Amino acid sequence: MTILEERPQLPFEAHEPSLMEIVPGPRPHGIVKFVTSTDHKQIGLNYLFTGLAGFVIAGLMALVMRTQLIVPNNHFVTENVYNEMFTIHGTIMLFVFAGPFAFAGFGNYLVPLMIGAPDMAFPRFNNLSYWLYLGGFSLLLAGFLTNNGAAQFGWFGYAPLTEAIHSPGPGADLWIVGIGLTGFSGIFTAVNIITTVFTLRAPGMVMFRMPIFVWNILVTMFLILLAFPVLTAAMALLWIDRHLGGNFYDATKGGQPILWQNLFWFFGHPEVYIIALPYFGIATEILATMSRKPVFGYKGMIAATLSIGALAMGVWAHHMYTTGAVLLPFFAAMSLLIAVPTGIKFFNWIGTMWRGTIVLNTAMLFCLGFLAMFLFGGITGVILAQPVLDFQLHNTYFVVAHFHYVLIGAVMAGFGGLYYWLPKMTGRKLSEKWGKLGFALLFIGFNLTFFPQHDLGLRGMPRRIETYNAGMGWNFLNELSSIGAYITALGVLVNAWNIFTSWRNGELAGDNPWDGQTLEWACSSPPPDHNFEALPPIRSERPVWDANHPDMLTKVGH
Amino acid sequence: MHQLTGLLATNFGSPSGVTTQDHYTRELWRLSGYFSVPIGLIVLGLITFAIVRYRHRPGEDRKPAQFQYHIPIEATYTIIPLVIVAVIFGVMYNAENHVTKVSAKPSVAITVDGFQWGWRFVYPNGHVQIGTGDYNNINNNNDLPVLVMPSNETVQLHVVSLDVVHTFYVKEFLFNRDLIPGINNTFDVNVTKPGLYPGQCNNICGEYHAYMRFLVDVMTPTQYAAWYANQPACSVTTAGVPGIQNGSCAAINAGADFTGYTQAPKG
Repeated sequence: MTILEERPQLPFEAHEPSLMEIVPGPRPHGIVKFVTSTDHKQIGLNYLFTGLAGFVIAGLMALVMRTQLIVPNNHFVTENVYNEMFTIHGTIMLFVFAGPFAFAGFGNYLVPLMIGAPDMAFPRFNNLSYWLYLGGFSLLLAGFLTNNGAAQFGWFGYAPLTEAIHSPGPGADLWIVGIGLTGFSGIFTAVNIITTVFTLRAPGMVMFRMPIFVWNILVTMFLILLAFPVLTAAMALLWIDRHLGGNFYDATKGGQPILWQNLFWFFGHPEVYIIALPYFGIATEILATMSRKPVFGYKGMIAATLSIGALAMGVWAHHMYTTGAVLLPFFAAMSLLIAVPTGIKFFNWIGTMWRGTIVLNTAMLFCLGFLAMFLFGGITGVILAQPVLDFQLHNTYFVVAHFHYVLIGAVMAGFGGLYYWLPKMTGRKLSEKWGKLGFALLFIGFNLTFFPQHDLGLRGMPRRIETYNAGMGWNFLNELSSIGAYITALGVLVNAWNIFTSWRNGELAGDNPWDGQTLEWACSSPPPDHNFEALPPIRSERPVWDANHPDMLTKVGH
Repeated sequence: MHQLTGLLATNFGSPSGVTTQDHYTRELWRLSGYFSVPIGLIVLGLITFAIVRYRHRPGEDRKPAQFQYHIPIEATYTIIPLVIVAVIFGVMYNAENHVTKVSAKPSVAITVDGFQWGWRFVYPNGHVQIGTGDYNNINNNNDLPVLVMPSNETVQLHVVSLDVVHTFYVKEFLFNRDLIPGINNTFDVNVTKPGLYPGQCNNICGEYHAYMRFLVDVMTPTQYAAWYANQPACSVTTAGVPGIQNGSCAAINAGADFTGYTQAPKG
């Protein structure tokens, strides 16, 4: 990538000699750079755009599902195709898009920049992580090319439906290996980022001066180290069951199907926070910058992130309330407690906006969309955390609506992150006009798709059914939901068009288009290889703001 | 005042159940509503206020405040949610004990077997009600397996899976319970309102998951007694497959091969 304009003079003096040596000569570009680069920025972009490709592909599958459900007794696709659609939709959204898009995409690109490092601690290892991830993604899709089709048992693949006798064919194996590869990719990324954060921080960048985004990524990475190996092991056991007669999950031969559920959710619930925490970080950064204020309750925010991370390890069985095989009060108490640190974050976000000068651009609008949708998803989460209410709502569309509100809240923050950081990555701003239209379509589309699903759940519609009886009172709500899905698709198209055109012809961004606060805004857009020629002094968690606004330093005390 | 109590009695959109457990479930649902609706509105209100009041207007020369901590406020919004969560947990704990209570002496005990993709209900005398949905027409409500049970009595359901994980779910019971190979689950229901209620498998179990439906026919105790007296021991009632009304008990209990007792999958 090239620097698009002459760099203006930095407002601060370079107080150290140049931090790197520039090797002259041609640099790789295009496909060669994509394949061989060990640069954290290139790998971050690879993750971001592979993740977005996953989002679009899995989104198309959602459109197939919503089209199938638009009227009762519909025969748009067959039962098996429908089952493949929701299985691979869920798997790709979680393992390819929602998680890696943030923790590996934004994480890779931004963590070294935000802590003033030249690259990740293990650049080649980083490259390997990406290729494992892309391999996993490809295998998940390759299932559709096999004779029996892709996996058809839902993204949490409850044994024994996943055993060879119930799900024959290579589709299920490709699902197992695909998830296994993305699992390894996640573990390697976690090792890399944790090492980077602990060893490569610039002078002055103590832990309590790291941006909230970096803190959240750090906690996420520890959750990955605790959760992903369990997932990968569970997948390995399943593969042994299918091919070597392991019988781990086969009750007829002494195995235990419930073991799969415990192993899977021991990964699966931390996974929810592995997905959510980076987006919390993105939202925090955007809110602070666009309000021109420091993050309110910075240390309380970090404490909340740490306690969410800790509690996340002890709530997995709230997905298993109806199995009759878990200690209900313990998991209910832990699950309800998570509402407290999450609430702290909400009030800190409001405090961050309070008495600021808020710029309502597209990035900020997406952030507010995140707040609204995540708030609603959080409230329904408190309802579902109670076993008695979960007995009523378990596996109905109420649950589908709940977690889509949570995850799409996160995706909203992710789109906000694109509008906020793509100018840094490409050197060009995205169009505000198209951006605001895209935001409006996505916000209306998402809500129209998923709000009616709460009522569908209360009216007793189970998830994952391919069609439904016309007399259940579900017809109108399903129709609304499907129309919402089409509006969402339009919103995605508008945003994709915006990214495509603005990348080529967008307004030049300059180094610091938003009056940013953290270190990534101190280098050029896009940043040069190895990032920094000079760093501003790091005396708080917003060194660039301090350098640009010496008259508006954070007020100490309260 | 009357309007206020009317508002507080709202069910926040939740349907009414027909069992004695309904009371606990909906009380908890309402309690969650009392807390979450105001909290949600307060948070949304604060956000809206902030973006309207503090948004940057062109030409305006207001400097953003640069405060970062306010310990008393931060402590308040930590402690109040903790208290709310504790209250919800306390009420929930009590409700949970009632809902999951299993009677030692139920009036009727029925075994519910789930299989791909149908149900088998086995009564104490060995009578079997068995069937699958109509794989060709989801709108066909006539050929579904029927779980017959009395009202106003404690009915104990013993749910067993014969192959993969299924979930017994009847919307009007406000209740789900999984059928998992290797785990024997038992729960009680006491239906207060006789009637015909649709039920459905609520856990993905393969190709025809959507068709794994059944009906619950709740009769008054006298009607039930009359119905039960008419079912000879080890008789079989099939749904949608006429001609095998009297299969043999031993044959149908021998394994999970229900060919002939259930409707054939299409294709």
